Amino acid sequence: MDTKTMSNRRLLAGAALLSIAAAACVTPPDRDDLPSVVRAGLYAEPQSLSLLGKTDRSSEIVGRLVTDSLVQYDARLDLQPMLATSWEISPDGRTVTFELRDGVRWHDGAPLTARDVVFSVEKSREPATEAKSFLAGFQDLVRVEALDDLTVRAEYSKPYADFMEAWTVPIIPEHLAGREPELLKSEFARHPVGCGPFRFVRYDPGQEIVLEANDDYWGGKPAIEGVTLQVIPDERTAYQALLRGDLHLLSVPPDIWAEAESSRDADRLGRLLFYRLTVWYIAWNQDGSHEAFTDPRVRRAMLLALDREPFAEKVLGGLGKAAATTYHPDSVWADPGIVPLPYDPDEASRLLDEAGWQDPDGDGIRERRGQSLELTLLTPASRQEISGRIAAWVQQSLAEIGVRMEIETLEFGAFLERRRSGQFDALMASLTFTPIPDQYELYHSSATEDGFNFFSFSDPEVDRLLELGRQTFDRAERETVYRELQRRLEELQPMSCLFHFASPVLHDPRLRGLQPSPIDLWRITPGPRVWSWEETEPGP
Amino acid sequence: MSVPSLGRPARRVGTGLLTLLLVTWVVFLLCHLVPGDAVSVDLGEESIGHRLPPERVAELRALYHLDQPVVRQYGMWLRDIARGDLGRSFHDGRPVSEKLGARLGLTVTLNALSLALMIVLAVPLGAAAALKPGSRADRWTGAATYALYAVPVFWAGLLLQILFSVRLEWLPLFGLESPDARALGVLPRIADRGAHLVLPVLCLSYGGIAYLSRFVRANLTESLHGDAVRAARARGLSPGRLLFGHAFRQASVPMLTLAGFLLPGLVGGSVIVETVFALPGLGRMFVDAVFQRDVPVIMGLTLLSGTATLIGIVAADLLYAVFDPRVRRG
Repeated sequence: MDTKTMSNRRLLAGAALLSIAAAACVTPPDRDDLPSVVRAGLYAEPQSLSLLGKTDRSSEIVGRLVTDSLVQYDARLDLQPMLATSWEISPDGRTVTFELRDGVRWHDGAPLTARDVVFSVEKSREPATEAKSFLAGFQDLVRVEALDDLTVRAEYSKPYADFMEAWTVPIIPEHLAGREPELLKSEFARHPVGCGPFRFVRYDPGQEIVLEANDDYWGGKPAIEGVTLQVIPDERTAYQALLRGDLHLLSVPPDIWAEAESSRDADRLGRLLFYRLTVWYIAWNQDGSHEAFTDPRVRRAMLLALDREPFAEKVLGGLGKAAATTYHPDSVWADPGIVPLPYDPDEASRLLDEAGWQDPDGDGIRERRGQSLELTLLTPASRQEISGRIAAWVQQSLAEIGVRMEIETLEFGAFLERRRSGQFDALMASLTFTPIPDQYELYHSSATEDGFNFFSFSDPEVDRLLELGRQTFDRAERETVYRELQRRLEELQPMSCLFHFASPVLHDPRLRGLQPSPIDLWRITPGPRVWSWEETEPGP
Repeated sequence: MSVPSLGRPARRVGTGLLTLLLVTWVVFLLCHLVPGDAVSVDLGEESIGHRLPPERVAELRALYHLDQPVVRQYGMWLRDIARGDLGRSFHDGRPVSEKLGARLGLTVTLNALSLALMIVLAVPLGAAAALKPGSRADRWTGAATYALYAVPVFWAGLLLQILFSVRLEWLPLFGLESPDARALGVLPRIADRGAHLVLPVLCLSYGGIAYLSRFVRANLTESLHGDAVRAARARGLSPGRLLFGHAFRQASVPMLTLAGFLLPGLVGGSVIVETVFALPGLGRMFVDAVFQRDVPVIMGLTLLSGTATLIGIVAADLLYAVFDPRVRRG
């Protein structure tokens, strides 16, 4: 309480000195010296600093910087050994044994042991930790135990070929994080301690999170002296801060990216683009409430009516590319033989005619048995105007093949409720994937109730392939299964995959070693640990 | 000055508390009527890897008592309030009182400063206009302040930032203090914080100047033409004495009403200014809480602004009696 009143008083006193301060001016950061710390902008505060827990992007970034996991993805989406040096899977696929790296120490100096790993996994499975991705990923885990200080064994109730995904779970120290029952509310979540390349220094809510390099990191000391994550909710302000040199690294929305391309002020900035494992889709409700969409020909016709390439170029400013399926082209599992559907309105009309949707009365709207081909497209309201532009373009394109579409935009929470209740004709949103090929939750007929198959898609062949893929451990065999699945999905078009979007990043050009990856700049290995500062070559 | 009787303010406080109770109930109900709750609304982008089986979702909902009937949840909230406990945020698990406390200081400081700036500029402007209504000065100040009133805050903020921070580099762009502020001595650090407040305070106050100066002008004009002032003028008092000795005193009653409504404004944050300047104030917190369906935080803020409104109204009531003998005598 005392410190609070103190700071209030300081604020008031500060206010009284406004005029003095304005005259004194704050010196802008010196631009000639190389910075030591990387100051990066975040638009949202982390929900928690518990390292293991909340799964919003900001929380995960902090978690990945401060602590490590047994394995982690690299920029090519391959799993690399981190705290685990090796692992062995039993022939029945139900047991995995990890050997841990020797000599790893927590930031407080205590050694990391197998007990910390067991503790972290158990913690991640408590609902109160709210580690949603790991709650789901460890669903079939029966037992996890420490065989000795450096060996961990985990046993599953049934084999699951993508089980390693969950072992990217951040490991936290039992001797500190185990003191209080609820991790998210614990003292630990205020002063997290990890074994990662950066140590937690402090957090000023609404302002910044300060991390410094861990000199004793097992993989070698980071090349930068620290990372400060600056919370700036407004995109424009953050961009100005980058131009001024107050920030060194920032993901930007498309409009600012476009502006930076033509602005002289942004000349000196470095730019990079990467595609994330995200797809913009239109899901057609196939529960029978709208009879047109249970017919794959109609779903295919919808996508054929969209001229995506010019739209991506002109409206999305080159930041989008046409998608073929939910398997991202940058993923190792994507079948390169499957390409996005072309723009072919004649073929679209032919398919609709064939499906019985014709326009005998010539009013421009197709009918079948007295019912017009009409639909309402549901979209979530977004801060970015892009969603509205895509919806309007879809509306116009469908009108040209005789389909009348209305657009309904809802606040995100309301949108989710409507989707859950299944009360929609079609809806458009974006969806992000993990690097694993298993998309059971999205397409399996059993996932309509509680999975992600809210659009009630059902196909026995797709079900079979999804089940088979989950049981197949051999990499080459898996590839065959998932390529077959993609061909079937392409044929049936359960959802129209519109675009993949690129994430543009602007940065101080002296900051080197940034590695774009479909997961993020931050959440991969080696990631920020190998970023460095280098003098730019003198210009001509 | 005689002491006003206690019956009236006590009655006002009583009805005020009842109103407050009603307001919290309505807000609580609204929180639960909107679609989605803290568990279903995951504001990050949707990821297929984060899907949970329904029994896990149910467990999460139970953690926040979202599985209970609304009336019961409200009862639990009231019980905690009676114990002085505002609960914990659904969003990050921190105590609501701590979250509010951490941001209240900045919000009050910002609002108090901009209010002060508004009064310092608007009262003389309004008084000058009232002395010579219809004069060229009156018309020009009217036009200028209305023009300012029409400028959108986010745009003004951006222009001020580009001019003073990016081009001229006189003032900091955003935040509460500079990155190196912790290394500074006490006075430079205060100056640093002050410098960070200049642009936000300007943004918060320019719009209100039009409103406040017109308000002052209207009230002063009325009282300058009233009987008492006319009598005083007949006694040969100078325009200055007329204005300050009589007109202002008479005009103070409506101004008190205004002040009563300004008090809750002190704890009400400004979303736009706080967002543009990346300041950790209450306005941003409230909007975030609504989107996150963070009921304890929404309720905490409702209680805070409700209490401030109540205090404002009661205080204005009491002060009427001090300034206006007719109220005192009932």
